[in-house]
Amino acid sequence: MIDTPHKNNASLPTLERFRELNRTFPHAKEILDFKQQGGKVFGWLCTYVPEEIIHAAGALPIRITGYPTEVELEDGTAYLYVNSCSFSRSCLQMGLRGEYDFLDGVVGGSTCDGARRLFDLWRKYIGTPFHDVLTVPRKYNERAHQLYLDQVVKFKQHLEEFLETTISDEALLHSIEVYNESRTLLRELYELRKSDNPPITGAETMEVLIASFHMPKELFNQWLRDLLDELSVSGIGNKGRVRLMIVGSVLENPEFIRSIETEGGLVVTDELCTSTRYWYDLVVIEGSTTPIEAISRRYLSNFPCARMFPSDERFDRIFDLIKQFRVDGVISEIIRYCVPYAHDLPLMTERLKAQGIPILPLDVEFGTSGSGQIKTRVQAFLEMLEAKKR
Amino acid sequence: MKTLGIDVGSLTTKAVILSDNGILTSTIIMSGDEAEESARMAMEESLSQAGISINDDLYIVSTGAGAKSVSFIQQKKAITTCLARGARYLFPSSRMVIDMGAESSTVVKLNERGRVNDWAGQDKCAAGTGIFLQQMAKLMQMSLGEMSELSFKAKSRASITSTCAVFAESEVISHVHRDPPTPKEEIIAGIYYSVVSRIMTLCKRAGIEKDVALVGGVALNDGVVKTMEKELGFAVLVPDVPQIVSALGAAILAREAMEKEAS
Amino acid sequence: MTSPKGEGSDLKTIIRACRLIARMNQARPEALKSEAMYYEMLANYYDRLLNARETGDFIAAHTVFFPSEIIYAMDILPMHAETTTWMISLFSGEIAEILSAGADLGLAPEICTPHRGLAGAFSLGTLPRPDVMLWSNMVCDNTAKSGELLMKINRCPGFFIDHPFHNSEEEIAYLMGELEDMVRFLEEHSGRKMDWDRLSEVVAETDKQIELYREINELRKVVPTPFHSQGFLQLLSVDYLLAGRPEATAYLETLRQELTDMVQQGKGAVPNERFRLMSLFLPPMYLMGFLERISQEYGAVSVTEPFFTYWGEGRLNPAKPLESVAKKSYMIPEAQMYGPLDERQLTRVATLAEEYKVDGAIYYADVGCRHTCATIKTFKDVLNDIDVPVLTLDCDVVDPTVASQEEVAEKMERFFELLEDR
Repeated sequence: MIDTPHKNNASLPTLERFRELNRTFPHAKEILDFKQQGGKVFGWLCTYVPEEIIHAAGALPIRITGYPTEVELEDGTAYLYVNSCSFSRSCLQMGLRGEYDFLDGVVGGSTCDGARRLFDLWRKYIGTPFHDVLTVPRKYNERAHQLYLDQVVKFKQHLEEFLETTISDEALLHSIEVYNESRTLLRELYELRKSDNPPITGAETMEVLIASFHMPKELFNQWLRDLLDELSVSGIGNKGRVRLMIVGSVLENPEFIRSIETEGGLVVTDELCTSTRYWYDLVVIEGSTTPIEAISRRYLSNFPCARMFPSDERFDRIFDLIKQFRVDGVISEIIRYCVPYAHDLPLMTERLKAQGIPILPLDVEFGTSGSGQIKTRVQAFLEMLEAKKR
Repeated sequence: MKTLGIDVGSLTTKAVILSDNGILTSTIIMSGDEAEESARMAMEESLSQAGISINDDLYIVSTGAGAKSVSFIQQKKAITTCLARGARYLFPSSRMVIDMGAESSTVVKLNERGRVNDWAGQDKCAAGTGIFLQQMAKLMQMSLGEMSELSFKAKSRASITSTCAVFAESEVISHVHRDPPTPKEEIIAGIYYSVVSRIMTLCKRAGIEKDVALVGGVALNDGVVKTMEKELGFAVLVPDVPQIVSALGAAILAREAMEKEAS
Repeated sequence: MTSPKGEGSDLKTIIRACRLIARMNQARPEALKSEAMYYEMLANYYDRLLNARETGDFIAAHTVFFPSEIIYAMDILPMHAETTTWMISLFSGEIAEILSAGADLGLAPEICTPHRGLAGAFSLGTLPRPDVMLWSNMVCDNTAKSGELLMKINRCPGFFIDHPFHNSEEEIAYLMGELEDMVRFLEEHSGRKMDWDRLSEVVAETDKQIELYREINELRKVVPTPFHSQGFLQLLSVDYLLAGRPEATAYLETLRQELTDMVQQGKGAVPNERFRLMSLFLPPMYLMGFLERISQEYGAVSVTEPFFTYWGEGRLNPAKPLESVAKKSYMIPEAQMYGPLDERQLTRVATLAEEYKVDGAIYYADVGCRHTCATIKTFKDVLNDIDVPVLTLDCDVVDPTVASQEEVAEKMERFFELLEDR
């Protein structure tokens, strides 16, 4: 059992702010205020969309996410069909039902089948005024970086045309600063989880992350600084039976993590599109690199999605986190019909096995809270890990 | 000119005799193991009800799951065509027919002339079917009618998230045995919502268009009908005897065939 | 773990079946000569692979929509991965074993059967072990991600071609860079050097073949249509397996002549053509015989397949062989399914429906193919707007447990009744 029950966390008003925003999304006050002041909002999907470009244009980048829980996806399924991942269907349904009508534009990458079809259908049936899809190479060599840079530059030009503005290098530098600060602060938050009794749980971290996608970065940075301050004097220490890492693609329901943690499995780190994959690498400007070159380089070589080749790049990074956070076991959550991650699983499992690190592979629907069958399997996994430790 | 339409379903076999003045009789009997036998019994009962004997002039069209195995018919027609004819006959304005049967659900889209444009069906899974509702009634220890009546009292609905009938069942059980137990009417509301959601997915695949006719045995259930109307956002047209619509359609198609032969 | 059937056993089955069909065809005077040619070509293709060890040939296994011209130009034997699973399903019907072997490797059930089956077949050793594994991301994630595991199973090196999303000049240049890297990779591992003149010849041949595809497609517009319903799968296989090969050109020329003759005689592929169909995506391989029978029985023929037989505009330039190979990959019919789905593709579907006088369309909704199923609603809307009904058939291209013959028969009969009723 986690020794610190939830009511203690209600004494963290800084965390409650994030929760409140998550509860009200997409009609969050922070977004509505921005729009009311005449600001433009651009929805983006996937960690390969360079947010700084949108930010530097004076617009608000908001990550397109699906429903916060597992819901009936009749519209999503009717359009994308039953064998597209429930994440893409969830996002599309929100779009079809008008939840994303506040967006002035949507931006995506040619990242995976689910994402690209989501964007195809979005263009045809929702028709947000600005629509752009970047080609994202699957390799990391120089030629790939050149192509991706070309795409980022084209995107910037497209955005400038649409907004009738120019995005200066100064603006880009400033945005890089803001976003790098965000990444640094999140890294600080994660560092806290390296301790034996972290002051913040995996579920709570997810709540912070979700909020980070849905609000102006400057304000988020402020809130996160406040949270870090509060945590440093909170005296909270979460205990668990074992230290876990969750790997997978998209995860947005903190309840899933919570249901693991209430069983005593402390989730000390994770590798998800909605967590480390989002913030890990900083944009680095060195020598004569232009801001846009630096941004482009960072986004392509950032913590890899399973779509990238070779897959060892992703696995190496996962192992690095396992070491850093002293992880006892890995839980893989793969959404049904998420093909890139499903293909990685046998290769990753083999590597983990070679290192003696147990893995629990779960296939889930997007938004699952982790009850029922999943809980049973988690319990068995934790018992096995504990026995191993003794 | 009289024609006979027989719908050999998994649970019941329906027969309709159509005359120049409209529906002469309609019969519903339990289906046996043999489709031929069931069809024959349904035919004989409807003939005796109508007071006519079998004669050479009676054109018979069959439809439904067991239609293929019936020997004494002139023609076999797909259930979708029969649903289209039957629903249009009863409700000339219908553009969509939702058939909720014992073991399967079918949604048929009609064009302006009442011809089938598209359909979406589901017959592999129990979720959303009459059999599922019967199972639930057993679990709740009530009759289908009692459940329906009680559903109108629900102020909110219990969450039943599983799309699979088997898992939905265990969710209902946990609602019943919860401490304190979820109010019965809320569980029923949750069950009906689950059933209707399955149908809504089919409807959205085909594309929703008014007017919508709701037919099949499950359409007798007022609670389900009301839930359906709530999800659609408008009222649906339900016939007095919703189970016989396909058989009626078959009889209409028989009449069309006879008229064609005559000309 | 090697299947008791032995290495190459699946290929032997395919070869035997093809030679048998070719012989049967030759024995029937009224049968089209092109049919026998097609099956002989297939048999020879697999025969070459089966005997590669003896002949000292170098085998490069590759995924679908692959620039096999490069492989042929280097005198390397290509082994087309996905079609091999299709052929196994088509000719032996024994797909369960290789699918379960694929599951044993840890591949999730949502991974499409051609790829699960392929990994399974390699792991059982029923296919010849390739010397290298080549793959690309055309046209989906399954293809993009299949290579690394296959490299491991076959204990061989591999190369991944990253095909860009759009077709701007920069992206075509990127693709050409990828192709150059692959040539270097193949030279290094095979010990064979790229003969650029040979590649020019191969490209010239492919260019001829694409023109022939276009001519054959034109002939199919005629009422009644001369080419039989499942014939388009032959056209597909020819491009997959034998692009740029002279025997493929000979086959296409023969077929073109046969169809021209039939058109002149007013002869149709089926005696009483009643329903002209548009096929979207692939019919189940294990139902080929049955679908052909249904076609004859109901007079229903597939006359156009927008994303399988309809080639994009353009000609190949043998003087620029590598650029041509890169350009070709954007012209391939199925390649249209990869880039952004825009008005062009949608208009094409509607235009083809009108030009080919299509009565109805059948969408083969393969349960493992996410990106094609995601277009069902879009194409349905486009076709319904011009009053063409669409039947969606849930199925799997190689796995018979997903949709049985009875289910498919019932749905198709219902659909034909729907068309008749109009």
